[in-house]
Amino acid sequence: MSEDFNDNKTIQAQSSEAISGGGSGVGADADYVRPAEVADQDLYHGHSFITKWIFCQDAKVIGVQYFLLATFTGIIGLILSWLMRLQLGFPGLAPFMTAEHYYQFVTMHGMIMVVYFLTALFLGGFGNYLIPLMVGARDMVFPYLNMVSFWSFFVAVAVLLASFFVPGGPTGSGWTLYPPQAILEGTPGSGYGIMLMCISLILFVAGFTMGGLNYLITVLQARTRGMTLMRMPLTVWGIFTATVLAMLAFPALLVGALMMSLDNVLGTSFFMPTILKAGEVLEYGGGSPILFQHLFWFFGHPEVYIVALPAFGIISDLISVHARKNIFGYRMMVWAIVGIGALSFFVWAHHMYVSGMNPWFGFFFATTTLIIAVPTAMKVYNWILTLWRGNIRLNTVMLWCLGFIVTFVNGGITGIFLGNVSVDVPLSDTYFVIAHFHMVMGIAPLMVIMGAVYHWFPLVAGRFLDEKLGKWHFWLTFLGAYSIYFPMHYLGFIGVPRRYFEMYDSPYVTSAVGMNEFISLAAFIVGAAQFILIYNIIKTLKVGKPAGHNPWQACSLEWLTPTVPPEHGNWGDRLPTVHRWAYDYSVPGAKEDFITQTTPPSEVANTEVEKT
Amino acid sequence: MSSIIKKLFGTLLEKPWEESQALIDNKHVGKTFGVTNQMSAVIIIFGISTAIFSLIFTAYLYSIPPEQDTTLILKNKLLWINTLVLIFVTYFFNKISKDLKNNLTNKIKNNIIIVGALSYLFLFLQIILWYQLMNQGHFVSTNNYFSSYYIFTALHGLHLLGGLFFWGQISSRIFKLKEKDYVKETSNLQALSLYWLFLFIVWLVFFTIMFIYNDSVIAWCKSLIA
Repeated sequence: MSEDFNDNKTIQAQSSEAISGGGSGVGADADYVRPAEVADQDLYHGHSFITKWIFCQDAKVIGVQYFLLATFTGIIGLILSWLMRLQLGFPGLAPFMTAEHYYQFVTMHGMIMVVYFLTALFLGGFGNYLIPLMVGARDMVFPYLNMVSFWSFFVAVAVLLASFFVPGGPTGSGWTLYPPQAILEGTPGSGYGIMLMCISLILFVAGFTMGGLNYLITVLQARTRGMTLMRMPLTVWGIFTATVLAMLAFPALLVGALMMSLDNVLGTSFFMPTILKAGEVLEYGGGSPILFQHLFWFFGHPEVYIVALPAFGIISDLISVHARKNIFGYRMMVWAIVGIGALSFFVWAHHMYVSGMNPWFGFFFATTTLIIAVPTAMKVYNWILTLWRGNIRLNTVMLWCLGFIVTFVNGGITGIFLGNVSVDVPLSDTYFVIAHFHMVMGIAPLMVIMGAVYHWFPLVAGRFLDEKLGKWHFWLTFLGAYSIYFPMHYLGFIGVPRRYFEMYDSPYVTSAVGMNEFISLAAFIVGAAQFILIYNIIKTLKVGKPAGHNPWQACSLEWLTPTVPPEHGNWGDRLPTVHRWAYDYSVPGAKEDFITQTTPPSEVANTEVEKT
Repeated sequence: MSSIIKKLFGTLLEKPWEESQALIDNKHVGKTFGVTNQMSAVIIIFGISTAIFSLIFTAYLYSIPPEQDTTLILKNKLLWINTLVLIFVTYFFNKISKDLKNNLTNKIKNNIIIVGALSYLFLFLQIILWYQLMNQGHFVSTNNYFSSYYIFTALHGLHLLGGLFFWGQISSRIFKLKEKDYVKETSNLQALSLYWLFLFIVWLVFFTIMFIYNDSVIAWCKSLIA
């Protein structure tokens, strides 16, 4: 334990008296805060480069580590998507692209983007950086465990990428890894590839569980004084609820990966029915491939919301700050987050309409799927109503926010198509599905990530990212993404199947050739446009405009640290005391158009808080 | 449970922007539940592991071979002895917890050793049981009945090993402390005690499912439907 920290420790009861004792006259009673019961935290401060930046226990550094590693894997996923589009748009142009490689790239692209990029970035990256700051804690409650969580993720990524270098290459069974084909000869990577994928997933889940424990307990048990659950920013609500989902959904992935590994290595038959291969009966028998599908989608659908809920939370905060208005319907937003989280466990089989399950199941899951659209739509209305008559700053962050709303609505509407069994069946396994899920859980969350990066970069680095480059980045991504995915809906309608290495001579597919070329070109441009951000970050770190304290005039706690960027321990001598929620923007009667969460009522005595 | 539900829904109904609510919220001390961080961690692990074991049980019930005698493993005496060992472990851990509460510290060290020794004994006997089954020709790949049994017991054993890792850490700290200072480890020991209780409950559920879900019960259920 560090001795430095002991010098900084304060007894919270004293600081509380100091704050509450100071008030007199108007609002003195309202300023009162009770002494904290949450004990101040003893932290380990690293002194060497290794303990400070590599094996570091500071949640902020861990957040940045998660962010960088997730981005690295995301870039690999992006390159894989380029290669896939190269094949689809211009077949034969890349001589190394065989059908096996194509399937391997499809599989790795999907798994990397969903699990190792989006999940890791939202929960590991933003979760670690923002939770302690936003709830007024010094760090996560178990910093050492938090560090181990990141390094488990690191090993998981290393194992996953190692599969590119083993005999047979990575698995090519599709990101859903359906058995029996995933582990049978004939599927690329059916030996080492699938084995490494399963091991990597198991490591990822184990590592995430350690991180998730931290997020949940920090939010529930380590908030600062005055920070009730309903005063937390929606970002924290989103990450918190997504973590609960992950804790309950990842076990299904873990069990699925474990059982499939045993089927592969020890010859068990959890998912393997009796199989004939070249007239010969294999030793497997008695298992059910459908069981794996249930396990996978019991994880897979909540996974959509594990990505979406943090995105919902973050976008709510960004919109509120940059529209200078309190978030419309805060309570409703919280209910929607919790409601969507709960409902997400009752919709998984809408991914299995064509698996041959009982039609009554389809009826049930179509109903629950459509019900989930209600709280989701509530959120969209509330974002729009927050913007309504707001003092909107049309900066890069706001552009990403607006881009997100439009994209999410687009992807959501096609989700309503696919939620209905009768519409889904003909559209299953076509490019319509690809277009839908890329819009709703690819591009939309990516826009949130970008908005969040432009918003919080001044906190992390103390400098503003370049606005001009940011706007170029946004418009190229936004228009490019629509150029990719709008035509894909049409391809789906005319019946172009997904997962095909090439379209052969099918007459109905020839009409899609030009469109495929166009989509591929757009994909190359959108992918390349993402490097604008990397250039922007490097340039900003060197010559960016200093941001100073609270550059966006935000209300939430993360901007109120004594130093920017925040130091280890976040709050210097004294933990902050919270007097209000995080959305007091443009309050009538206030001197400025924002009132921070730490401002006591006596300092803003003549204000009138808007009803919401 | 009802208080948790009340608390949750009560919380969700708050209007944090209103002045009257602000007066209440300002009194909030920062914690949601009156339990230690260690205890919170065990409760959350409880939830995650319940999900894992439930899915394994579901897989077992989903794919049990029709020709399999479902009570075969229960006929092995060692399984019952193991259960007895686990009962003793849980009893002694509970005793440690109670003694700490009542400030009776003189037997805590001994009981901690007993708990560890019995837990290792349980794991050892589990391996013997695996050995016996394999000698009878019942391997992990024989059919889904045995596959499920092996995977369940392996995961249960891994959970126990994880617990024993923390048991080792806490024990080493206790052994360095003077008897009057044992209370410093109260929250850790109580959390660990709850963890062992959880492992015992999982074992009982497993046992009950193996016991109940057999051919005669299935036949009885079918007759009810008919």
